[in-house]
Amino acid sequence: MISALRPHVALEPALRHGLGVLFILALWQAAAMGLAGRYMLAGPVEVVQHILTHHALLGRALWVTVQNAAWGFVAGNLAAIGLALIVALVPQARMLVAALALVVFCLPLVATGPILRVLYGPGPGPQITLAALAVYYTTFIPLLVGLRAAPASWFDLIRLYGRGAWTVFVQVRVMASLPYLLAGLQIAAPAAFLGAMVGEFTGADRGMGVLALRAMRGLDVEATWAIALIAAAVSMLAYGVIGWVAQTNAGARPEILMAPPPAPARGSILSRGMKTLALVAITATLVIGVWWALMEVFSLSRFFAKRPDDVWRYLITAPNAGANRAVLWAATSASLEQVIPGYLAGLALGAVTALLLTLAPALAGGVLPLAIALRSVPIVTTAPLIVLALGRGAAGTITIVAVMTFFPALVACLQGLRQAPGQVLDVMRLYATNPIARLWHAQIPAMLPAFFAAARLSVPAAILAVTVAEWLATGRGLGALMALTASTSDYNLLWSAIVVVTLGACIGYGLVSMVERAVLARVAPEQLRS
Amino acid sequence: MEHSGPDIRCTGVAKTFGGGTTTLEAVAPLTLDFAAGQMTALVGPSGCGKSTLLRMIAGLEVPSAGQITLGGQTPQHMQRQGALAMAFQDASLLPWRSVRGNIALARKLARMTPDADAVEDMIARVGLSGFEDARPAELSGGMRQRVAIARCLITQPRVLLLDEPFGAVDELTRTRLNLELPPLWQASGTTALMVTHSVREAVALADRVLVFSSRPARVVGDIMIPPEARDDKAGQLALTEQVNAALAQGWADDSAQAHPWAAQ
Repeated sequence: MISALRPHVALEPALRHGLGVLFILALWQAAAMGLAGRYMLAGPVEVVQHILTHHALLGRALWVTVQNAAWGFVAGNLAAIGLALIVALVPQARMLVAALALVVFCLPLVATGPILRVLYGPGPGPQITLAALAVYYTTFIPLLVGLRAAPASWFDLIRLYGRGAWTVFVQVRVMASLPYLLAGLQIAAPAAFLGAMVGEFTGADRGMGVLALRAMRGLDVEATWAIALIAAAVSMLAYGVIGWVAQTNAGARPEILMAPPPAPARGSILSRGMKTLALVAITATLVIGVWWALMEVFSLSRFFAKRPDDVWRYLITAPNAGANRAVLWAATSASLEQVIPGYLAGLALGAVTALLLTLAPALAGGVLPLAIALRSVPIVTTAPLIVLALGRGAAGTITIVAVMTFFPALVACLQGLRQAPGQVLDVMRLYATNPIARLWHAQIPAMLPAFFAAARLSVPAAILAVTVAEWLATGRGLGALMALTASTSDYNLLWSAIVVVTLGACIGYGLVSMVERAVLARVAPEQLRS
Repeated sequence: MEHSGPDIRCTGVAKTFGGGTTTLEAVAPLTLDFAAGQMTALVGPSGCGKSTLLRMIAGLEVPSAGQITLGGQTPQHMQRQGALAMAFQDASLLPWRSVRGNIALARKLARMTPDADAVEDMIARVGLSGFEDARPAELSGGMRQRVAIARCLITQPRVLLLDEPFGAVDELTRTRLNLELPPLWQASGTTALMVTHSVREAVALADRVLVFSSRPARVVGDIMIPPEARDDKAGQLALTEQVNAALAQGWADDSAQAHPWAAQ
């Protein structure tokens, strides 16, 4: 009797989800019809019609982009694993490798794309490289956490038999970090697709990025929506498949993915400041050294492959350095005007939404998977839609940046809120504490480490969002400047812009880390890594 | 296979953690001998340094002063011989390995040839037949500790170190584990040291009970448990009282030292 009833029980949630999707589609269609002529919104019927009409072209483009993304995914993740292995085997190199990895992660994809195009020539090289650059950091960081995440007694067990670091590594660290690696790969899959599409924007002849650019420029609303929908579906599918593999093979998903920043070093403010300065100086020297060496080793032409001294001359010592700096500063301030409010708004909205959802726990259970799915939608596909809907002004750009930071913040905060110890909450319930007090005393402190991890990683993401929006739509700011200089072969200005953006992203990341440390030291000192 | 464990000598062994202004003296200089083939229980207040002493004997901590030898050898030499085994308070099983895999791992780490039959036999001896392929997450706390003990014994260690191995399981399970598992190593002549908080457990299982004061640990009681006392309830009760009295004396000495006015 019970077994006969089971299929109906199983069907119920599926039915509900199905009805939910149908409801959203109906709402979408109604909005498209109601707003026809006023907003650039295509309804699901038109989008499906477009996909059916152009299925051969879209299919070919999708196949090209998926291939580029897949190669980039493999290369980027191999690089991440290699870097993590270096850190695991040579722990002294940790700070330096992490700092170098961060600098490379902060490189603006919008500017590296055109330079890679010149370096590689035609072909899929830039797309694959940009996909690799987009994924390696989000795998590297969880992997670092995973390689350290094992109870001390496991290491004791190995040492008890007189075995050394290699056995510890093979028997404990590799296996213990597997769930973290898979969680990182899961985030990397949609990011690879994003990287490949940005690469295709920079002068490729085939792929979804090329179609997206054409649709945007031709104001082809149906095509823009169709491409966004396909890219979103593919990204979500990749995210889901890797999640499924992780769940079936690696057991429980790790609770904390991103490492908190190191605890304040012991010693006086002066000695801590000196240590930070030393790290910055060593990292800067290494970055400049590697940059210069790469150019020289591959004998790249000075015309487009500028060296550190070219940028120095252009910005500091050249006769017209002042004018050059003024151009760059005008673009930078234009970008900052949009990226700062967007970034802060996205983070704040993410955190507030997560907090509001804890007051309605039944709703939160449903929102988390939805937010995780939406987080994997590539910004390059949502950006054109937002521009179509909100126009090419500041509102559109700020919204794009906010969307880019909103979902990671929301997902991180919802996961962080789950970290609040159940027994502490039980004690509070025992005294009939109101939900706001529970939030303030237990749940918000538990949420903050995850929130700040998202805030740190969102700095380069926000910069990517603003530069993509400026490049594709507004024609202002650093994004537009980089696109313009790439097309006019003004490589001095392009390389200078790359330096400014990378430096800005690193400074932003550092500032967020400082705020994080100060806040966590007050409200959750146990969360700081010792 | 019958084999005999070595004697263990600790000469002036001390351990200090930290440095500068934040040093912690975990173990004050201690000189102790443990006879070959004997089982000694170490009891004392929480944090008194018993586990640190055990970890120094295992070679997992390096003493700040003094010397430890096992049968005349250093702990590190014994580690390389695969002669040591240790059970921790949490079973410390690798979650991605099955019961069989966790037990077989110890033989591999100890550089012994794989022996599937010995592993199967050990699983049967600790009462886990039928669970060979289970992962730790699928086992109860008591079952996990059975696996941990099996992992210790599969290498036929000459020295067995038990750091409150049954401390995290309920009283009923603990009583059952104490009845079923110790005979597995007691017959082999292994030298065993066990840290425990249960005086009753110490008296029931050990040949000798060492009672420590609070940190830094001093020996405040050294009580031999004669074999005939095991089957004699009255004798066990008397020995339990003796251990409790030593603990109380140690506590009184500590209080007098910390609060000199209390002794006046």
